[in-house]
Amino acid sequence: MAAEFNTILIRYGEIFLKGNNKRYFESLLIKNIKAALEGIDCKFVRSQSRFYIEGFSLSDKNEVISRLTKVFGIHSISPAVKTPTNLEEIGEIAASVSPKSGKFRVTVKRADKKITLKSMEVAAIIGGEMLKRSPSLKVDLFKYDFELNVDIRENGYSYIFFESIPGAQGLPAGCSGKAMLLLSGGIDSPVAAYLMAKRGLNIACVHYHSFPYTSELALQKVVDLAARLRPYIPNIELYVVPFTEIQYAIHEHCPKEYMITIMRRFMMRIAERLAKEKKCGALITGESLGQVASQTIESINVTNSVVSLPVFRPLIGSDKEEIIEIAQKIGTFDISIRPYEDCCTVFLPKNPIIHPKIEDAVRFEKNLDIEGLIQKAIDGIEIKKISQNP
Amino acid sequence: MIYFDNASTTRCSEQAAEILIKYSSELYFNPSSAYPEGISVKNDLERARSRILRALRAPEGKLVFTSSGTESDNMALFGTRKPNGSRVIISAAEHAAIYNSAMELKKRGYDVRLCPVDIGGKVDYEAFCGLLTPDTSLVSIIHANNETGGINDIKALCAAAKRVNPDVIFHSDGVQAFGKIEVDLTDSGIDLYSISGHKINAPKGVAALYIRKGLNISPIIFGGGQENGLRSSTENTGAVVAFAEMAAYFAENRKKLTENAATIKNKIASALSEIEEIKFVSGTDSSDYILTFSSSKVRGEVMQHALERLGILIGTGSACSSTRASKRVAEAIGLKDKYLDGVMRISFGIYNTPEEADEFIKAFFTKYKELSVYGS
Repeated sequence: MAAEFNTILIRYGEIFLKGNNKRYFESLLIKNIKAALEGIDCKFVRSQSRFYIEGFSLSDKNEVISRLTKVFGIHSISPAVKTPTNLEEIGEIAASVSPKSGKFRVTVKRADKKITLKSMEVAAIIGGEMLKRSPSLKVDLFKYDFELNVDIRENGYSYIFFESIPGAQGLPAGCSGKAMLLLSGGIDSPVAAYLMAKRGLNIACVHYHSFPYTSELALQKVVDLAARLRPYIPNIELYVVPFTEIQYAIHEHCPKEYMITIMRRFMMRIAERLAKEKKCGALITGESLGQVASQTIESINVTNSVVSLPVFRPLIGSDKEEIIEIAQKIGTFDISIRPYEDCCTVFLPKNPIIHPKIEDAVRFEKNLDIEGLIQKAIDGIEIKKISQNP
Repeated sequence: MIYFDNASTTRCSEQAAEILIKYSSELYFNPSSAYPEGISVKNDLERARSRILRALRAPEGKLVFTSSGTESDNMALFGTRKPNGSRVIISAAEHAAIYNSAMELKKRGYDVRLCPVDIGGKVDYEAFCGLLTPDTSLVSIIHANNETGGINDIKALCAAAKRVNPDVIFHSDGVQAFGKIEVDLTDSGIDLYSISGHKINAPKGVAALYIRKGLNISPIIFGGGQENGLRSSTENTGAVVAFAEMAAYFAENRKKLTENAATIKNKIASALSEIEEIKFVSGTDSSDYILTFSSSKVRGEVMQHALERLGILIGTGSACSSTRASKRVAEAIGLKDKYLDGVMRISFGIYNTPEEADEFIKAFFTKYKELSVYGS
């Protein structure tokens, strides 16, 4: 019988050393794992401090692995052969899945204390069985070509595996609450979402759409970005706010150089309004200090001053290269560089103010019906459904 | 919906779609097979080839079926024999399929020259003659320009080129012209001519390259040796037969179809001429199927989106390059400043009606008035 790597072993390790919260974290992680594997026929099994995915078709194995590596809170995973605990049989399976020559070691973890032999002794027996079947193999505990691991669990089963694939680390999305991200379509904001989700946040996104100045393609780009983030943030939401009228009003009634500053103040206000409605405890932006005119200390101060919720800016101290590296890793970069205009590039003044003042912004905004404009924008919000990739 | 973006692609006609289904579900046999079913499909394929050659008025020529106009253009530029470093001339307003292929030839050491064009996208004859040298090995001039509708006199250009070097290979990208503008490839002396199915209501994924009798070119795709070794790949039989059907339809109904397109175009052009800041790109002698103009007050893209909400679909220059915000052709035809962003292209097809033109004019004026207040 050819042994098959029919089980994925999931380790979630030290992140849960949080005392009384352990149960809560675990149940969230389980929920997120199940959401990540939606659409794949498989079974989730829980046993002590390990999770297992079983019962999937072997053709889905790589898809299961790919999805699990994006679930925050998972430390590492290993494709394993599950077999009833019987040392001779384990040796036989180990030999069948191992290379037929080279140096190796066997490492045993024995959670099942019904087996009275020590882990080293069990390893020696399994190694012996392997040598019987593959005489060209050689044991070397230090300079080995491959390491064969055997986890002997209390449930009467053992798991045989080689590799340990690093997980996404972090905390399970949702355990820290929920925040509202200003998602522009550029490179930075999806990365900000990823970093905050890694710290356990569920994320709702707000996008400002300036139809007809920005196109359906620009909107599709944002939907695609959210979909690309969904494996990391299983409950991601996307709200699209019609923004053209606000831009018209600012364009007509405020000085050109304050266009972006006042626009951003509206974006923050609407985001906060929406955040409170959707039970978000914070806002997130992709701002990085000094990157553009609207990201100077003064600009950030002027836009920040219209909201009271905390604003998380995980990229504030990052260089563009560092941001791009993460964007490439999580697969949002290729989408972000699609060349459609976003609402910030519409009515762009030639010389936007770099050091705006709060009192000036407030004075210019007196010409606008702030409340009316915000309410109209919120009334026009469109909710986009974000489906699982692919 | 009013679909005024037919230069981008057209709706597959019902007769073409039926043919496609028939060859997919009933006559699905491989034309290279030796059994009667395969031989019968092979015969249909050859009939389709003859029909298209007849529409090109070149019954003696060869026709190689390809997957796209782009592939046909690539075959023309890369499959032809050209001495190393020799001169290659294209117009400055070619479709990206020719332009980017020519840029690749340049990288490979050829002396690639771009011939200037007028605002309508037509080649400047004097400038063209000035570029010709005895070592010019290949010329590629678009027949009807996809972005402007400008029609080049390819017969005259071909003759001028052959006077300077009788061995020059003259190619023309006829993708926008085929079916819509009469062409006589035997009489014009053109060596290679690209045509494509989906611009004349046939399915996507089928096109062809016409090759003058006696001219040998090399394949750019290798494999099982189909199409006399020039284009390996199992033939796309249903699409080829549908392509031939539509080629014949356009040839038989050309006068009627062109008159319909011209009526629509003239109605719209005359209405738009009332707007001062709109500049016409398409000349009066351009293709009846394309009307291109530019506004200095409203960006083409913005107008396109405003109209799409009203169910009117138009283009902004070449749809193939709109994702890259390419302004190469707009610059080549001499548009400047705000006019570079204000380009709109409306293009007509066999399903459009003069009533749609009226509806378009109404919607266009309403939206244009709204948007021009804010400038571009």
